[in-house]
This record gives sequence, C-alpha cells and structure tokens, in this order.
Amino acid sequence: MISLTDRYLAATLRTVPAPRRAEIADELRASIADMIEGRTAAGQDTTAAEREVLTELGHPDRLAARYADRPLQLIGPTYYLVWWSLLRRLLTIIPALVGVAVGVLKATVEAQPHEAIGAGIATAFEVGVQIVFWVTVSFAVLERTRTPLDLPEWSVDQLPDAPVERDVTLTDTCASIAFLLLTLAFLPWQHYRSWVSDADGDNLPILDPALWTSWLPVLAAVLVASIGLEIVKHRTGRWTWPLVGVNVVLNLAFALPVGYLLLTDRLLNPALVERFAWLREDGNMDMSTNVAVVVVATISIWDITESVVKARRHNR
Amino acid sequence: MVSDDVLRTHLQELRRGTVVVASLLALRRPDYGYALLQRLAAHGFPVDANTLYPLLRRLEEQGLLTSEWNTEESRPRKFYRTSADGETVLGRLLDDLAAVQTSVTRLIQGVEQ
Repeated sequence: MISLTDRYLAATLRTVPAPRRAEIADELRASIADMIEGRTAAGQDTTAAEREVLTELGHPDRLAARYADRPLQLIGPTYYLVWWSLLRRLLTIIPALVGVAVGVLKATVEAQPHEAIGAGIATAFEVGVQIVFWVTVSFAVLERTRTPLDLPEWSVDQLPDAPVERDVTLTDTCASIAFLLLTLAFLPWQHYRSWVSDADGDNLPILDPALWTSWLPVLAAVLVASIGLEIVKHRTGRWTWPLVGVNVVLNLAFALPVGYLLLTDRLLNPALVERFAWLREDGNMDMSTNVAVVVVATISIWDITESVVKARRHNR
Repeated sequence: MVSDDVLRTHLQELRRGTVVVASLLALRRPDYGYALLQRLAAHGFPVDANTLYPLLRRLEEQGLLTSEWNTEESRPRKFYRTSADGETVLGRLLDDLAAVQTSVTRLIQGVEQ
C-alpha cells in the first residue's frame, strides 16, 4: 500500500521544477520521517503522527510554491495597479467604439437596422470579455516571469483634479441610457416584429410605416442625442444650466412631435386601427389618444422639472 | 481591546526577518532541517516546518548556506552550514538588529523624559 507520505510527496513534487525534484524529494522525505519519529518518541501512534505531521506541513501546492519561490496570486502588488488602470482605460473606450461601429455597419452596409443595436451590444460585450481575458493573462505571465516593467515613477503631477461633488450616480446614468436604448430599439422592432399580425398572419407595424420617411428618424436622432446628454451629464457629475437647456430642447423635440402625431391620428398604423374594432368604436380612439398625450406630457414635464430643481439646488 | 488577529499579524511581521538571522546563526554548527527546527524552537524561535524547509533551500541557492549529505546515520540527511558569504550577511543583519534595538531604547528614553 502507498503510504500517506508517498502521496504527499508526489503531490508536492508534481509542481516543483524537474531539475531539483529528486533532491527536494529525498530531503523532504527525511524531514517528514524525522518529524514523525520525533512524535512517536513522545509516545504517539505512528499513523496518527504521520497524519499530524503532513497536516502541519499543509497544502502540497502551497509547500511546492514556497520551494519554487512561486507567487500564490494571479497578479501581485507589483503589477496590480498597472493592470487595473490599463484595463479601465481599454474598457471605457474600445468596446463602445467597436460596438457602435458594428451596429452602424449592420444598419447601413447590411441594411438590417432592426438587428443593429443587438449586434452592437453583443459585439461590445464580446470585445470587453476578450480585453479582460488577454490583459489579465499577459499580466499573470509577467508576474510569473518577474519581468521588470520600467514604468516611470509616480509623481505628484499625475494627481487628478479634486473630484466634483457628484449628483449623478452611475446607476442613474446606466438606467437612463438603458431606457433610451430600449425605446430606440422599439422603433425598428415594432416595424419588423410587433406582436400583432394582420389577417394573413403577416407582421403588422404598430406605428405608421409612412413615418419612417418623415418623423421617426427625427425621433430616433433625439433619442441618440439624449444618450449623449446622459453621458455628458455623468462626466460633468451634476446638472448645469447649459445641460438643463439641452434637456429642455430634447424633451420638447421628442414630446411635441409625438403629441402632434397623436392628436392628428398619424402616429398609429392605420392598418392596425383597422384590425382592432375596439379602437374604431365611438370615442375610444379619442380617449386613448388623450391618455397617451397626457402620459407623454407628464414624463417630459417631470424630467424637465427634475433637472431644473437639481441644477438650482447645486448652484444655490 | 485589540483583537487577537491584529496582534498576531503584527507579531508575525516583527518576527519574519529574524528567522533568517536565527538560521544563519544556528547553522554555524552544521545541522539538518528537523534538528534545526527543534533547536530554534528551544531557543525561542518557533518556526513552521513548511516555512523553514523551503527557506533553507532558498538560502542555499543564494549562496548563504552550503550543504552536504550525511549518509552515516540511520537515514541520509542533508546538513546545512553557514557559508563565508552567509557569515558576511549575518554580520550585517546582526548589526542592523542591534541598531534597531538601540534606536528603540533611545526612543523609549526620549519619550519618558
């Protein structure tokens, strides 16, 4: 039967560099035997002594790492800060850039605008994962080869400006952008894959398809500009009066066309109204329109008021 | 009240470097791993076996210890001895340890005055 000591030695020596393996094996075996002997001499049972000694020596991989003088961390203090700042810099720019590029290509060259946003997000995510993986692997290799980086020493000139007081949290910004992206995605989605179908079972757009050559591109542009506003606002850290001004303009640029289209019965697809008898019944269409106008107006007024209140609170 | 963990960490930090000093000092008389472990423990330097054995190898690689296999006894054992280089390093380390002790003493006196 193979003894516990043999198994322990095998487990330890597995990861010790080959040229030193035999000698470390002989020495460690002798040391373990000495330790066991020390305990049996004190009257302990051999089996129990062996268990205790091996437990005291601890995890074989840890002991092997000490023999080989190998780090037990993926990226140690020497490289950690460089790794982290490089990763942050790459992740803030590249995935978004590639994602937007892929989305635009999909929408224009491949003429599939309804897949553009999904493709862009998927590509951005993939690129992000790849960046994290390869940067981390490179630094883990540097850690193990102990390559000196020869980076310039840190100096006080690198200190960032004092942070501005933050009114705008990252969570808020992300939530707003996610909502805007969903709204943006809704435009092509409702055209190609709404949940309504006509009498032949074909897809029935919810919004009037005629609007694609007039108002829908404008609304989409306003949504994209709103995303830009969210990003600028987050970078500034708070509502400033110029930002409030832009916010008012964007809100009006969205709410007024939507309200106008609703009130002139041009927003919904006429074929959709045709398909739902309820909408054609007396007064129902007018009521739905009024409710929708009030909702759009409330959201816009709420958003504008909130920005004004926050800007005033900060500038007081 | 300071937690035991905090105290233990500080004591470990304080003791860490002294293991090298103690080993270089003790190995002026050649010895093998386990016997050295016992000897250090008996003189107030309790060291974990899994720290001491790899440390001996590292000091040998750095040229501060020399080693020799002794096959005369019941089992072959590797005996370590402090080398000439090891003796030089040990001298510097002991000077520094004494300097630390002196500074601490002076600091205590300075504070009390």
